[in-house]
Amino acid sequence: MAAITIDGIVKQFGGLTVLQQLSLHVPDGAFYTLLGPSGCGKTTLLRCIAGFYEPDGGRLLFDRDDVTRTPPHRRDIGMVFQDYALFPDKTAFDNVAYGLRARQVARAEIARRVAEALDKVGLAELAARYPAQMSGGQRQRVALARALVIRPRVLLMDEPLSNLDAKMRLQMRDVILDLVREAGITTVFVTHDQEEALAMSDRIAIMDRGRIAQLGTPEELYGTPANAYVADFIGSANLLPVPTTGAAEPGRVRYQLAGHALEGRRDGPAPGKGQGLLIARPEELALGAAAPPQPNALPGRVLRRQYLGFKTAYRVQLHDGPELRVEQHGGSHASAFQVGDAVQVLIPAHSRVIAADNA
Amino acid sequence: MNIRWWPWGLLAAACLAVLLFFVLYPLVVLFGNSVLDESGAYSLAAFIALARDSQFVQAFQNSLLLGVVVTACTVMVGVPFAYMVARYEFPFKNLVAVLPILTIVIPEIIVGQSWLLVLGNNGLVTNWLAGWGIELPSFYGWTGLVLSMTLVYYTYIYLGVLAALRGFDGQLEEAGLSLGTSPFVTRLRVLVPVVAPAVLVNALVVFTLVVGNFALSMLLASRVPLLSVMTYNTFVSEMGGNPALQSAMSVVSIAIVAGVLFVQKRVVERKVYTMTQGRAPAPRRVRSGASLLFTATVGLVLLASLLPLIVVFVGAFTATSGPVMHWGSWSLDSLQRALQAAPEPIVNSLRFASMATVVGVAFAVLASYLIIKKRTLATQALDYVVVLPLTISGTVLGIALVQTFNTGWLVLAGTSTIMVLAYAVRRLPFAMRNASSTLFNIPESIEEASISLGVSPLMTFFKVVLPAMKASLISSAILMWVTTISELSASMVVYTGGLETMPITIFRQVDGGRLGLASAYGAALVSVIVLPIVIAIKVFRINLFSTK
Repeated sequence: MAAITIDGIVKQFGGLTVLQQLSLHVPDGAFYTLLGPSGCGKTTLLRCIAGFYEPDGGRLLFDRDDVTRTPPHRRDIGMVFQDYALFPDKTAFDNVAYGLRARQVARAEIARRVAEALDKVGLAELAARYPAQMSGGQRQRVALARALVIRPRVLLMDEPLSNLDAKMRLQMRDVILDLVREAGITTVFVTHDQEEALAMSDRIAIMDRGRIAQLGTPEELYGTPANAYVADFIGSANLLPVPTTGAAEPGRVRYQLAGHALEGRRDGPAPGKGQGLLIARPEELALGAAAPPQPNALPGRVLRRQYLGFKTAYRVQLHDGPELRVEQHGGSHASAFQVGDAVQVLIPAHSRVIAADNA
Repeated sequence: MNIRWWPWGLLAAACLAVLLFFVLYPLVVLFGNSVLDESGAYSLAAFIALARDSQFVQAFQNSLLLGVVVTACTVMVGVPFAYMVARYEFPFKNLVAVLPILTIVIPEIIVGQSWLLVLGNNGLVTNWLAGWGIELPSFYGWTGLVLSMTLVYYTYIYLGVLAALRGFDGQLEEAGLSLGTSPFVTRLRVLVPVVAPAVLVNALVVFTLVVGNFALSMLLASRVPLLSVMTYNTFVSEMGGNPALQSAMSVVSIAIVAGVLFVQKRVVERKVYTMTQGRAPAPRRVRSGASLLFTATVGLVLLASLLPLIVVFVGAFTATSGPVMHWGSWSLDSLQRALQAAPEPIVNSLRFASMATVVGVAFAVLASYLIIKKRTLATQALDYVVVLPLTISGTVLGIALVQTFNTGWLVLAGTSTIMVLAYAVRRLPFAMRNASSTLFNIPESIEEASISLGVSPLMTFFKVVLPAMKASLISSAILMWVTTISELSASMVVYTGGLETMPITIFRQVDGGRLGLASAYGAALVSVIVLPIVIAIKVFRINLFSTK
């Protein structure tokens, strides 16, 4: 087990810079996720850590060892691939034993450790099966056992769940977390699935065009996104440019929306007059009848209504203002509004306004 | 992954060097010899002499004409046959599955020989019909050439069109029907444009094979001058002298093939449509009258393809006196002479073919791996050089190798090495194609998985890539074995006394009229071809001849 230190790594392909002086520290035993849309550089970063790409600049440390120029087969890593990458001509047992044999572990010890590893992923009975005879979930379990049985210093996972069906994906999340926690192994997990990232990670690094847009715990990223990119990527948010008119008290801000003066929350120093960005998640907004007027509420009209069972999603056109997405949870009264109804959208006083240049 | 010079860069350089030296360099020598006169000065005298030689002009025209006629015949046989098999269901249809195997298994020389036994001057059917007062046209010449080559080459058209028909999306036809065209017109408008490229591509292949054909031409074309035969005869008569004429002739035949390849690249490939969702319509069961006809057709084609096998084995056990076969009276004499008194050709064939198979397959796997998985400038060059043998007929390749390696610091002429070299080079493009298509389907991630588990890239190649290729390696080796052991055209040029192979001996025996002995060697040849195929299919359960 080792901490991973990524220090100003640069990676270019042709003339294209895919990683721009990226730095990240993953403490020993932590589960970090690289999250982002395709093309953001997350897989490139993972492959740099694995050693399949050699960075064009910067350093990579496992604990204090500089492994920047170490070839991948000497890095002592465990890697789990999206397509499982099982050896097609070898049984589950031989697949898992492969890394141990390469390390010239004694036969009896191999037999014991492989059996134990297969047992942990619940495949003790399928040791003699070939990959072609297993389901996707079973294959990914073998791949996981194969990566963990060598007790690597770090575990790297490249979208390991994205080839599985929805149900198996949920199940495998638990399998992976149980094993990784038990082994206490430093893990870097790559995914483009935000729910996966939120559910599994100690910390998530949201990546944007070769940089880390924000690093934080799942709660931090969802609750206090640093910018519009993060807010939009994690969950969904109404992102509205608003003029700010000053602070009422520390941590508060006054702003204008659709011709109304509203009050919101503000991290950091108190702003003066300027441009801000309101980040309001659809579920923190509330919908109410048009009258009587309430504080921090804006009149509007329902454009569309989608009933989704546990919630109802609305699109509301504010009077003399932008469109908002609002979600109401719970019973039938929450979905009482119909298309065309005049309503009020309540924007709570804890909705965040960030400086516009952060976007 | 970054490609460092070790080990892949070094290996790529080595592969490229070997190919440049043994493939490109001999061709350069051949081209050089065609434009140099005896004093070593630049001269087009050889080409001018050829253009003035009426015999050569005749041979040139004949070869092209033969190419066109045989290609037309193979299309007329192959296309309807493929359509019948793809679209209709009738009794004994499954028998057609053996057709591609038969074509690969039965060497051309044996096809020629066995048809001579049946329809030749003293042939079984010739004599029988003569008894009724019917005289057949001589099998030596156009009749024999067109008939035997059509039978040898129609499978190329058949398999190509069959694959196209099976990959054809039946919904297109339904779409046509739904838009209001009649079934016949629909087929014409929808099916033909999709299948036509397959016909064209394979017709071009057949054309080049016919023009370059050596075995059947030598056996049957004594009265029709043909380019390949003339090139060989010139080579023999120029032995030791100035090789200008043979080189010029070789260059002409390379030019023909190059022209065909150019047409293929330019015209045909642009017209090949890719079907995204190929769900071929299910074959339709036909009515009893038609089904009888269909079954009979399959039976006839099958019989014609199988006939050489039957004849050669019957011939091997038939009593002979000199050139006369005593059909119906059996004897082990011929076999005994072939196996005991003069087994050298058999031993030679086994030796050369097995060496060529090992060398060729090993090289093909390594080179394909470098080309597909470790792309660099060197491997791209490799990719180009490797297809060169496709443009050269066996005769020309043999001539180029002999010209290049009969003097200088590396003398290979007259050694078994040159035989192995000729075989390996000739089959290399096919072995590479085979290996490449398999490697293409092996994901890079399994190599990375192996490396991540602590195995070096080079060892990963042996521990992960090769085992994953096992099935393809075996089938590739068998195809290489089968084709090299029946190789005649290059062998005839490069062999010297003591290096005769089975096909050469069969040719000599047929040429000398000793058809019984020829049959005995033929039976031995077919046996060593069939045996590994049977083993592969039964023991390794490998599907050697999937039409996909």
